[in-house]
Amino acid sequence: MLSQTNNVFKISPKSLLNTAIDNDNIPLGYTCNNVPRMMLNVGKLFPYRVNANGLSSGTELADIYLSQVTCSYTRSILEFAMDDQLEFIQGWIFAAGCDHLRRLYDNVQYILAPKFCHILDVPHKSGHDAITWFSKELHALSNEISEHFQADMSVTNIAQAISVHNDVMQSLQTIANYRKKNSPPFSGTEFHRLMSATWTLPIQFMKPIIERIEKQLPERTCPIDYKVRFLVVSSVVDQSEWIEAIENNGALVVADRYCTGAIPELEICPQTDDPFYDMASHLLQTNACPRMMDTFERRMDLIFQTVQDYHVDGVIISPIKFCDIWGVETTQVMSFLKEKKIPVLRLERDYCFSGEGQLNTRVQAFIEQIIQ
Amino acid sequence: MSVISNIQDQMVFYQSWIKNYQNIIKMPLRHGPIQTFQNVNKYPWLWHLAKVNRLLTMVTNGRQGNYRKANAAVVEKIVPNLMHILDNLVHDTDRLVLHEDMVPPEILFAMGLKTWMSELLGILMPIVDSHSVEKYIDIAENAGIPPDVCSLPKSTMGVILNKEVPPVKAILTSNSPCDGGMASYQLIKNKLDIPMFQLDAPYNFYNDRAIDYFANELKRMIDWLEIHTPGKMDWDHLRVICDERNKMAAYELELWESIRQRPAPLAAEAIYLSHLWCFNVTPGDPSGTELFKYLVELANDNVQKNIAAVPNEKYRTVLWNPPLLHFIDLFSWAEQQYGLTLIIDSMSYNRQPFIDTSTIDSMLRGLAHIIMTGPMARHTRGPAQNYFNDMFYIYTYFDLDMIFVAGHIGCKNTAALNGILREKCRNKGIPLLIIDYDLSDPRVVSHDGIIQQLDRFMENIMNK
Repeated sequence: MLSQTNNVFKISPKSLLNTAIDNDNIPLGYTCNNVPRMMLNVGKLFPYRVNANGLSSGTELADIYLSQVTCSYTRSILEFAMDDQLEFIQGWIFAAGCDHLRRLYDNVQYILAPKFCHILDVPHKSGHDAITWFSKELHALSNEISEHFQADMSVTNIAQAISVHNDVMQSLQTIANYRKKNSPPFSGTEFHRLMSATWTLPIQFMKPIIERIEKQLPERTCPIDYKVRFLVVSSVVDQSEWIEAIENNGALVVADRYCTGAIPELEICPQTDDPFYDMASHLLQTNACPRMMDTFERRMDLIFQTVQDYHVDGVIISPIKFCDIWGVETTQVMSFLKEKKIPVLRLERDYCFSGEGQLNTRVQAFIEQIIQ
Repeated sequence: MSVISNIQDQMVFYQSWIKNYQNIIKMPLRHGPIQTFQNVNKYPWLWHLAKVNRLLTMVTNGRQGNYRKANAAVVEKIVPNLMHILDNLVHDTDRLVLHEDMVPPEILFAMGLKTWMSELLGILMPIVDSHSVEKYIDIAENAGIPPDVCSLPKSTMGVILNKEVPPVKAILTSNSPCDGGMASYQLIKNKLDIPMFQLDAPYNFYNDRAIDYFANELKRMIDWLEIHTPGKMDWDHLRVICDERNKMAAYELELWESIRQRPAPLAAEAIYLSHLWCFNVTPGDPSGTELFKYLVELANDNVQKNIAAVPNEKYRTVLWNPPLLHFIDLFSWAEQQYGLTLIIDSMSYNRQPFIDTSTIDSMLRGLAHIIMTGPMARHTRGPAQNYFNDMFYIYTYFDLDMIFVAGHIGCKNTAALNGILREKCRNKGIPLLIIDYDLSDPRVVSHDGIIQQLDRFMENIMNK
């Protein structure tokens, strides 16, 4: 299906990443969206959302440390790191986002002992006191980065980095808005590739790519003769193959509310004279992660609004197995959507793409259910 | 053992047994037959709690002398307290607040509010009847809660989903001890449709900044309770409660000093069940102080007479994580089988036992510290050092021979440290047993399965 499209979405993140590193850019690995990626775009530094794309051997080593009952994202990352596949990362920045990520931090520190390894204490609330707390955390992180990498983390520089970040998010939002159309000029898989590249490459590398895509979109047609439009709700989705497998069944993924997707990650960060407070409020208040204790209604509204805005026919909610917060949240999202008479499919999965046959069966049945 | 001692031990059991049943029977007498019938109909779990005296058999079985007296005294404390809590099902229900076990009730007591600890059933029921929460776990799983979520929040959710919760008017909870527990409260709120306040403990809490932040959270909680419940804060009452708690904690420290000795004068339930109940369910209750004073007297008496709680004490261990709820008599068995003595558990050990009651702020800061360093919370939150530092400190301080980890399959947080723990123990030469099991659900690993693990450990590692 995708062969019908031209190549604007064909990005080679690996070679671009190598080029960036060869040009002395410094990748700082992060594993959670509570890490302020906009702040890490200063000087030669750039944020790299840690993934285990290419992991093919299972997680035997990581299971020894993290056990088999933790989320497979954390196990895959640890395995990948223990296999020296993430050696290029010059510093690790964690967020105390969930139990599993916190323990990944503990294990990375113990096993790999990176030279720079920091964990952010992220509140579970989004009010003023929590924002103030978190802004101090960001300030402390900024100081540590400045000291370790000799980077100019002045308020002016950080404010500039936020501006650049916002510009890119704005451009991506312009692209994402095409998905609201009846016939979007790209597939969910293509958009996923674009977003994956955005989260793993220096922003200056992404800007021309995004501009090129923006220019070519009016000339493109929808690459999929789809029967239904899906919203995918999940945590981390790093494998485009998973989205592709869904779309190969005759669906078009038009909206993605997951950590590596567009919603709400493309929201613009506010800018005042206190960039730390701006970033803290942005991260805590736009955060759609079920780890937050006071944003449940907001999260449900976001899903419902997305369904409306993107003319979604059905929602696939796909928690990674063993994730407690998503596990419990999923039950409630299902009830919420069923009350609103919105078709919903619960699809538990592992982080690494597997079980395509089962996936096809479930998605096909779901599509048939919607069409009927 | 002499015949007289044997008779005395039997007397301890029967006196306690009668006393407990008197307390159990008083509750339906207080409520009257109609109300009791209605309660039992509405809250079927009351049948399980009515079996609470089984606990006496479990904790006294095989125990002698002062050790037996101590364990019986702990049950004698639990039974009337429990019956008193059950009075909250029918009296002053407009003041009844559902609180998570990680939010201790001192402040609620001081505000004149009645409490219902939502995890109480999930903790107590499997203790008195191993299979009693399976029904509620199944209800939660059938409602869509993943099977891998901890069975304690699952059983708590099950009770609420099955509409068997008392008529509470507000919910108090926190982000401790784990994501599963935290997440479950949104579902509980949605189901009960009543106001909820959630306390947010920072990730890293051993510093003044975190204590200030959390003390402010407590202030916000008090303000919120004054708006959403009839409760009003009485700071003098809170001071009395905290002072009483401090007295109890002072006795507990004395008790810990005594059990450092080899052989230990008291062990197991006398140490951990007393703490679990008195510090988490009824803090500030003078009868709790009396219990700990009595435990100290019994321990000192044994020390003076050079009597061991476990006559053939050979090995001393700590139990990390909550006790095995559905197999509470495991250590009674292990004492007799291997002379293996449970000295203390991770839930009882606390680095911040006292509250400074000189000012309102100092009380709130003390409570903030206690809540953040509460059972489980201090080990499941924060960096891994919090977990390991306490563990190896306890190992040395209490002169232990091994470490047992109750490896509850639902506790991913601690499971994710098992690899590091194994290596650290290997490096330090500390024998380690991680017991694979489920906290509340014996269908996952049966009692026999747990015993087999312990047997293999003793045979292969300890060469017994």
